[in-house]
Amino acid sequence: MLDLTTRYLGLTLKNPLIAASSGYTSNLEHITQLEQNGIAAVVLKSIFEEEIINQFHESMGGLDKFHSNMEYLDYYDYELKNENINNYVQLIRNAKAKVSIPIIASINCVSNSEWTFFAKKLQEAGADALELNIFIMPSDQTKTGEQIENTYIDIINRVRKEVKIPVSVKMSSYFSNLSAMIQRISETKIDGIVLFNRFISADFDIDKIAVSPSYVFSNDKEYSLPLRWTAIMSSKIKCSIAASNGIHDSEALIKLLLAGADAVQIASTIYLNGMGQIDFMLKNLEDWMQSKNYTSISHFKGALSYNNLKNPAELERVQFMRYFSDHAIDNK
Amino acid sequence: MENILEYLKEERAQAWRDELRKKIKSKDRTAIVRVKMHEQDHDIRSRNNLEVNLGLKKEEAVIEAQRCLDCVTPTCIKGCPVNINIPKFVKKIEKEDFLGAAKVLKETNSLPAVCGRVCPQEKQCEQECFYTQKLKLAPVAIGYLERFAADFERESGMSSTPDVAENNGIKVASIGSGPAALAWASDMARFGYKVTVFEALHEIGGVLKYGIPEFRLPNKIVDFEIDNMKKMGIEFRTNFIVGKTMTIDDLREAGYKAFFVGSGAGLPRFMNIPGENAIGVFSANEYLTRINLMNAAKINFDTPVLSGLNVAIIGGGNTAMDSVRTAKRLGAEHAMIIYRRSEEEMPARIEEVKHAKEEGIEFLNLNNPVEYKFDKNGKVTSMILQKMVLGEPDASGRRSPVPLENSEYEIPVDTVVVAVGTSPNPLIPASVSGLKTTRWGTIVVNEDMQSSIEDIYAGGDIVRGGATVILAMGDGRTAAAAMHKNLAKKLLTK
Repeated sequence: MLDLTTRYLGLTLKNPLIAASSGYTSNLEHITQLEQNGIAAVVLKSIFEEEIINQFHESMGGLDKFHSNMEYLDYYDYELKNENINNYVQLIRNAKAKVSIPIIASINCVSNSEWTFFAKKLQEAGADALELNIFIMPSDQTKTGEQIENTYIDIINRVRKEVKIPVSVKMSSYFSNLSAMIQRISETKIDGIVLFNRFISADFDIDKIAVSPSYVFSNDKEYSLPLRWTAIMSSKIKCSIAASNGIHDSEALIKLLLAGADAVQIASTIYLNGMGQIDFMLKNLEDWMQSKNYTSISHFKGALSYNNLKNPAELERVQFMRYFSDHAIDNK
Repeated sequence: MENILEYLKEERAQAWRDELRKKIKSKDRTAIVRVKMHEQDHDIRSRNNLEVNLGLKKEEAVIEAQRCLDCVTPTCIKGCPVNINIPKFVKKIEKEDFLGAAKVLKETNSLPAVCGRVCPQEKQCEQECFYTQKLKLAPVAIGYLERFAADFERESGMSSTPDVAENNGIKVASIGSGPAALAWASDMARFGYKVTVFEALHEIGGVLKYGIPEFRLPNKIVDFEIDNMKKMGIEFRTNFIVGKTMTIDDLREAGYKAFFVGSGAGLPRFMNIPGENAIGVFSANEYLTRINLMNAAKINFDTPVLSGLNVAIIGGGNTAMDSVRTAKRLGAEHAMIIYRRSEEEMPARIEEVKHAKEEGIEFLNLNNPVEYKFDKNGKVTSMILQKMVLGEPDASGRRSPVPLENSEYEIPVDTVVVAVGTSPNPLIPASVSGLKTTRWGTIVVNEDMQSSIEDIYAGGDIVRGGATVILAMGDGRTAAAAMHKNLAKKLLTK
């Protein structure tokens, strides 16, 4: 009997597959289906601070002649926030009543304002853990990198002060010294780090000569970024690590576990291959474990992490050297 | 519209108007400086609850009326939601026919003494005045003159009751007794309907009574106007909650043929920040209603309101100004406005902000509360404020407040009044199936103020979320005209 259980954020998961925050985790029907297909935990679709700010601006722009009283609308953004949070709280309550897998709430913050206080409401609603999806767009030229980094730490500390449930941070890879930042975050009272957030980028439509959204799903090669950083950091930090981004199949799942991830988050592969992909990945994981005589995840988790490698410098190599140059020419 | 313009033209052509126009040259009229409103001294008024504005003297009113040029095209009327014949009533004042002026006001406005006090004339009729638009001078003080004429009539003891048509026996009802409902009721009574006004509270007047403090609008002024309506045959029923005491269906069965919903926006909004449930944190609705309607400012009453020394009011609208000035009158040493934008973006009337400043109100603009702290008994003791800066303009054109990171600081407070707006009263929308509402919870109406249900009309805050008194009254009048047209077609021609 193979043991696929793993510990993530202090929670015991029946296997290492977590449904990442996405449209699939925004309603009860899909959450139930994810559980039925074998997912071990669900990160609910993020409640977006930025989205609510945009919603407020849209509301202000869509006013008709009957709704022009500024006194009435002056603080309408709070109304929208409360409406969104109440709906979210209800989703948590409904999910907790319906499924038995852990439900991880998620907040997308772009500032350290009063948003952090809403974390408490999500805890009260019954969330098993909270994922902070933080990204501060480094487009403000008046801010130093240090100021931005301090904002991350400030948000974490504020939220940690408010809630007792486990808290993780889904972070981006855009830091000048990523390992130092991961280390710094791990030294707060955080329970886990998700490597990494994936962002929608802008693209150009060359026919219309206009800006257009880029392809929304990850591709199956993108896992190499979380793979490297999970391998480098997993043996250096004490908190949990979940890998995310480009994990489409069992091979990538196994690689990330070998790198030291406690769990992995998947989304695009469910969209592209259907819910059956969860079971398929788990079965393949089991087959591989059997072929290698592993009986539990803990037997091989982190086997290729920094501390377990004879030559960890391989993980840090970034420049094309002769081998890669020749490889490129040979493959022409 | 053509008829109205024609009517105004005919009125203007009357001999007495022509004579007045010739009496003083236009250049001499425009040379007159706009009158100043008499006010109680700010040191004295901030310690009493008497009206701040004291009104104009007869001579002052006449001189101010002389400033009006009696324009061929009176643009000021365009700015009035109830279409008061402004030049006509102003010229009546110039002619010193003050009772005549009041009568003109009452042709289209059932609450002239109220509107003369609380209307934002600077954004309505006075903004459209020839002085403002073309001469770039201070407009004719239409609001002050309206108040003067209405007060003169009331104090003269010769108040006129508008003529009403013969009773047609058709029963109609309003839900609520605020300005929209009162304007609707008054017009429907004039058309000859049997009008009942149902009010949930024990006092008639809606927001005019519970929302606006005595120092801005004395209750006796509202009561006088309501008494006048009673004389017109309008029945008022208090402590009657439509949707609970009786539903609209019950009232239909009782013979009512059409309804006007003017149930207002009485549902307080909060920010939902930590500590907002602490003792001493009020909604502006509760704070003002308890003081204005329930004697909570009197310590010998059973349920007095807390009168703190450090009182913070959150918001920048008229309700916030009313609350902060009330707090000052209740003895606050520091009565503070906490507003997250700058003064330029404040929705409050300029006059209210000016009065508040004169009375020593402290303005903490570009500050926003993020948390209230309280003691072991749950009583608020302090608040955490975050400093704000102004960002890019939002779609409404106003610059958005953006939190300044790591700028929080703590100030002591013992009373907090949250005046960040209200939501529409949900009772009627919830109790009438098929009644369409907007995403804001307001009732959807067409140009005639008719809802998605044929016999239900609506106006005021329940349609607009928040409306000025005069806009609400305009809704009531529009609804009355359309309702009368429909009922006459259906019931009176049979």
